[in-house]
Amino acid sequence: MLPFESLLKTLQTGSGFWNPLVWIVAIIVALLVVLIIRGFGKKDYKKGTSQTQAFLSGNPEYDKERMHIKGSNVYWGFSEILNWIINLLKKMHTGNVSDYVLWFVIIIAILFLSIIIPAGAI
Amino acid sequence: MDILQISQTALTVILGTIGLAIFGIIFGLFYKGVDRKLSAHMQGRIGPPIRQPFRDVRKLFVKENIVPENAISWIFHLAPLFGLVATISILLYLPIGGFNPLVISSGDLILILYLLILPSLAMVVGGFSSGSPYATVGAQREMATMIAYEFPLAIIIISMAWRLSMEGVRNVFALSSITSMPIWNFVGPLGFIGGIILLLALVLVTPAELSKIPFDSPEAETEIAGGLLTEYSGRNLAMFYLTDAVKTLVMASVIVALFFPYNLSPLFGLESYLAFAVDIIFYLVKVLLVVLFSVTLIRVAIARLKIDQIVYTYWVPITLLSLVGLIFLMWDQTFMVNFDIQPVFQMLGLA
Repeated sequence: MLPFESLLKTLQTGSGFWNPLVWIVAIIVALLVVLIIRGFGKKDYKKGTSQTQAFLSGNPEYDKERMHIKGSNVYWGFSEILNWIINLLKKMHTGNVSDYVLWFVIIIAILFLSIIIPAGAI
Repeated sequence: MDILQISQTALTVILGTIGLAIFGIIFGLFYKGVDRKLSAHMQGRIGPPIRQPFRDVRKLFVKENIVPENAISWIFHLAPLFGLVATISILLYLPIGGFNPLVISSGDLILILYLLILPSLAMVVGGFSSGSPYATVGAQREMATMIAYEFPLAIIIISMAWRLSMEGVRNVFALSSITSMPIWNFVGPLGFIGGIILLLALVLVTPAELSKIPFDSPEAETEIAGGLLTEYSGRNLAMFYLTDAVKTLVMASVIVALFFPYNLSPLFGLESYLAFAVDIIFYLVKVLLVVLFSVTLIRVAIARLKIDQIVYTYWVPITLLSLVGLIFLMWDQTFMVNFDIQPVFQMLGLA
């Protein structure tokens, strides 16, 4: 069993640190403050009336299955914009070894200029 | 750690959280009011009074707190609470008004990066739990936006930490280390340019963190009727409104801490209460300027981008911009060591 003292210590990762206990105390206090503020607001509404229906700009609501946003659409912004990179990568895969070696040399040159020289290795 | 120390820390955290929550909400709403007033003037309108956000919250509190019949009720209620609580907790780790962070040895910049994700995540969860197509589309967009801007944000933070590590600083992610050694004090000309590039990249990340135009497609009132907030009303909407206000203060404070951690009191040789007062006012002015440049000016000048354009903007131009900033810092360090170049501040006689 962990000694109680160890629970109070700040976690050290070498370059970072965090004390979860302090954060938990902070969020409990913040939650109480927020609940008090929220308590000033009105609680009730008219249940079972048209105000509880989803807002669809006046359009009729279809079956739940048809209204649902599919999982495949969750990352639509990414799939749409990264298509050109995927197509570019597809084009690069020519199957020709000399093309792959050329890319290897180009990447090494970029790394050499941007990282190896500045890091003072040479 | 003895009982006295534990109770002292607990008391500091409890009283500090209460104080910072009140400070964050009041000044967050104040800056929201200033932002609305300034943006209105920039667009040739009179705009609402600066106290309008306070009135908005008061009005939301007297409105009905409607829960849609399709919603998952408990998540729908919990998400706005969680967003505001998480945002308030970040204030504890930030240097506010020239003072060190309240819990200086209990969290670093990496923790702040993670905590910054929580309010956005609360909005995503709230949007998905609403059971509305508009809210779901908004939540989907918020997720894509989050993934997009985290990449350049991480590069900016790592670049700053790496440069500090080259100066022999031990805890490079500790905000106390970053604020005690501002990047401008020890970089050469190339590093100075790199710092400005990183600052520019962070200024461009801020509107997306805050869901402001041109990166507000998750809400997009004219297109998806408020997106993930469509179904929220009354006090739940007020909680998201307050989250936005406090997060604006948090993001501006992060920029101030990373790039402008200077205080006026040492310059004028001030001490005691006068020094505190001058430093707090100076901090509030710095936050105001950051809000003006990173929120107001950008949202007035640029129209809303589509979600695929947002992803492209962050993953290509802004990521490249931050990488260029990092490379400048790396080159600067090599030049300074090999050619004995003095820091810019020393050249200008400011150090």
